[in-house]
Amino acid sequence: MTHIDIVPLTIISGFLGSGKTSLLNHLLTQSAGRRITAMVNDFGALNIDAELIAAKHGNQITLANGCVCCSIGDDLMRSFMEVMQQSPLPDHIIIEASGVAEPSRIAGFASVDRQLRLDGIVTLVDAGAHNVHSNDPYLADNYAKQIEAAHLLLISKPDLADAATLENLQNELAAQKPNVPIAQMTHGMLPIDLVLGLNAAEEIRQPHDVIEHGFMQWATHLPPQPRATLIAKLENLRPHVLRAKAVLQDDEGAYVLHLAGGRISTEPHEGVASGHFVLIGKPQMPDATALEKIFRQNEAA
Amino acid sequence: MNPHLPHATHIAVRDGHILGVGTAENIDGWQKAWGPLALNRDFADKTLLPGFIEGHSHMMEGMFWDYHYVGYYDREGPDGTVWPGLKSIDEVVDKLKEIQANRKDKDMPLIAWGFDPIFFTDRRMNAADLDSVATDCSVIVLHASLHILNANNFVMEAADVKGADNSEFIRRDESGQATGEFLGQLGYYMAMRTTGINLLAIASSPETLVNFANVARQTGVTTATDLVNPMPAGSENAMRQAVDADDFPMRLVVAFQGNSMEPAEGVARMQELQTSNSDKLRFSLVKMVADGSIQGFSARLKWPHYFNGAPNGLWYIEPERLGDYLKAFTEAGIQVHVHTNGDECTEVTLDKIEEALRAHPWPDHRHTLQHCQMATRAHFKRMKALGVGVNLFSNHLYYWGDAHINITMGPERAARLDDAGGALAEGVPLAIHSDAPVTALAPLFTAWCAVNRLSSSGITLGNGTQNISVEEALYAITMGAAYSLKMESEIGSLEAGKRADIAILADDPIEVGAEKLKDIIVIGTMVGGQVHINQGRSA
Repeated sequence: MTHIDIVPLTIISGFLGSGKTSLLNHLLTQSAGRRITAMVNDFGALNIDAELIAAKHGNQITLANGCVCCSIGDDLMRSFMEVMQQSPLPDHIIIEASGVAEPSRIAGFASVDRQLRLDGIVTLVDAGAHNVHSNDPYLADNYAKQIEAAHLLLISKPDLADAATLENLQNELAAQKPNVPIAQMTHGMLPIDLVLGLNAAEEIRQPHDVIEHGFMQWATHLPPQPRATLIAKLENLRPHVLRAKAVLQDDEGAYVLHLAGGRISTEPHEGVASGHFVLIGKPQMPDATALEKIFRQNEAA
Repeated sequence: MNPHLPHATHIAVRDGHILGVGTAENIDGWQKAWGPLALNRDFADKTLLPGFIEGHSHMMEGMFWDYHYVGYYDREGPDGTVWPGLKSIDEVVDKLKEIQANRKDKDMPLIAWGFDPIFFTDRRMNAADLDSVATDCSVIVLHASLHILNANNFVMEAADVKGADNSEFIRRDESGQATGEFLGQLGYYMAMRTTGINLLAIASSPETLVNFANVARQTGVTTATDLVNPMPAGSENAMRQAVDADDFPMRLVVAFQGNSMEPAEGVARMQELQTSNSDKLRFSLVKMVADGSIQGFSARLKWPHYFNGAPNGLWYIEPERLGDYLKAFTEAGIQVHVHTNGDECTEVTLDKIEEALRAHPWPDHRHTLQHCQMATRAHFKRMKALGVGVNLFSNHLYYWGDAHINITMGPERAARLDDAGGALAEGVPLAIHSDAPVTALAPLFTAWCAVNRLSSSGITLGNGTQNISVEEALYAITMGAAYSLKMESEIGSLEAGKRADIAILADDPIEVGAEKLKDIIVIGTMVGGQVHINQGRSA
């Protein structure tokens, strides 16, 4: 069978004013080498610095860093057709869903297109407007569906809510979606890999850990180990680990492990396992020294 | 439809307009000022009505004739060929086999349209049916509703959907096997990705326009709408060229897709488009879509929502953003037609229109609710008060009436589906439509639906108060639609000074009566003084 390129798809969902555009703006300008194609409702609101725009053509803006932004204009299907007919295909597709979209329906595109893979649904919850939205006479059901569909819940504008509100919201969401990571986001800032997966983060020169926008990232090389062992170690670190990716070797062969949206999955890896391992988590995650200890042991912790 | 002269024997036409309507005695009077008039008796035994106006159709109708028609009813193609209706799934499959056997490029995707499963209650079409047509090329059958399609195994393998876990849009049998039936736009996306054919391309090629005009013309239509078009920059030029051609047999009103750009840009684009208006081509209104469809369970309904317990439907735009668009277009004096199917959507849209009008008062805005299928009397009262018109989807009564009684709405609420009688009783300006190609474009059929309110299985929807008379229905498909397009001073009735747009019928609808309204033979039309006779009909 001939090789086909598969593009990961991320859906950013949330009500009007929940910060989708800020997040998207951040992702596009900090794309770290990924050629992202973003499908958005409205260019104007995106407000990208003029100096970052390389070309503007009809319903498409090309950024100097290789990212492309195209407006959906009420026809998501046509947008998908146009994007998926590009050559080469983008490294990642992000959809900024409309405030009333059902993200699970958009995710359906990935299940009828063998060149698309759903990376995840990210739903933004406006800390200050949660009570209003969840009681809206016309939109409450929609709001609930967006939260229900999420693989990652981001509480936006936490700085505008008081501590008690924030804690209640956090608890409420955790009760509703116990296996889904919940994080806070201010001004759209957070590690890009948290939202877009770790597919492009393969180049690790040496182990390191960084704190970025209040999230901890840890990258290292690991010796071969059974996938069951690795999964067990990750399970123990919940709920502090938000995303993980590893390309490792075990007796069955090379494999890729993903932790995203609260789900851990493995698939066979073609070629040699690099030993790359990347974790993104909350600040409460064990520090680099502790993580080294956990993941370098050859037995399940 | 001229209240001063409802009936006449003679009509004089000059320079594309009506010089006069009256009797033989009036001819001398006309000739004194305008010179000799040649008396044409070709239609002396026919009935002339104002040309019909289809206030909600889509140019896509013209595009589908590139594919193969497999619907239940006979349907006349743009070239006048009658495609016989196929009365069973086996007949559809046999027809497809015949097409496959006779076509040259047997590897090319085979695409058919117009299939309607509501007529085949014993079983549903499946992949095996279409595999019997071909196994080494895509075979795709689009349903009449445009919400569902069937595909063969070739398509399912190419799309790799057999293992897909998302079941919302893939119909599965009891053993979990995909049956080959796909629901909603994802099915279309899959079909388009695997065949490389854009089934829902922006329909604006000259051929599509001509096909569309010919399909409409054959049913007595002299003005039709393309009720949502994103009108990419410059696309108006090709459209203008095609429609303004002398032999193009119809007037076309194009509704600009409101949310294809931001409100302020949309206003500017509309103002630019309006400079391309001509006698036959009009860019006069904006279309917004606020929810989905009832039969697709995507219309927004008030509690208790769907009769079968399905969750409430979808907003297609945030109500807040709909309000922003309505405000911007209202401020600029641009008329908006809003697609609302469910009653909750109708209510919220009326709220937003009211807000826009409080911000930018405009006495004769004539914003119109399209479909508006579940409106209550309370909604109609509000529409009257706000100056909002309605264009009801009367064909639904026939095509999906049974489904609405049994599945979506239940018998009580289905009674008020597309309540034309209620709209008129409350004083709301009324038009009725086909939404072609969703249902067949034929205003006399649409009128028949509104008059009789019969479902395809023969059940009457409602208790009679929702029905309208033949006269009211004829008004709705002429003056009513003209009014909804703000063209009532130009078209919609036969009177001196208006455009010479005429529907030529074999019989008088009033004499024929309610029951057989849909069966009246259309001989042809006159558009701007030019006669177009249907193939196989003679003057």
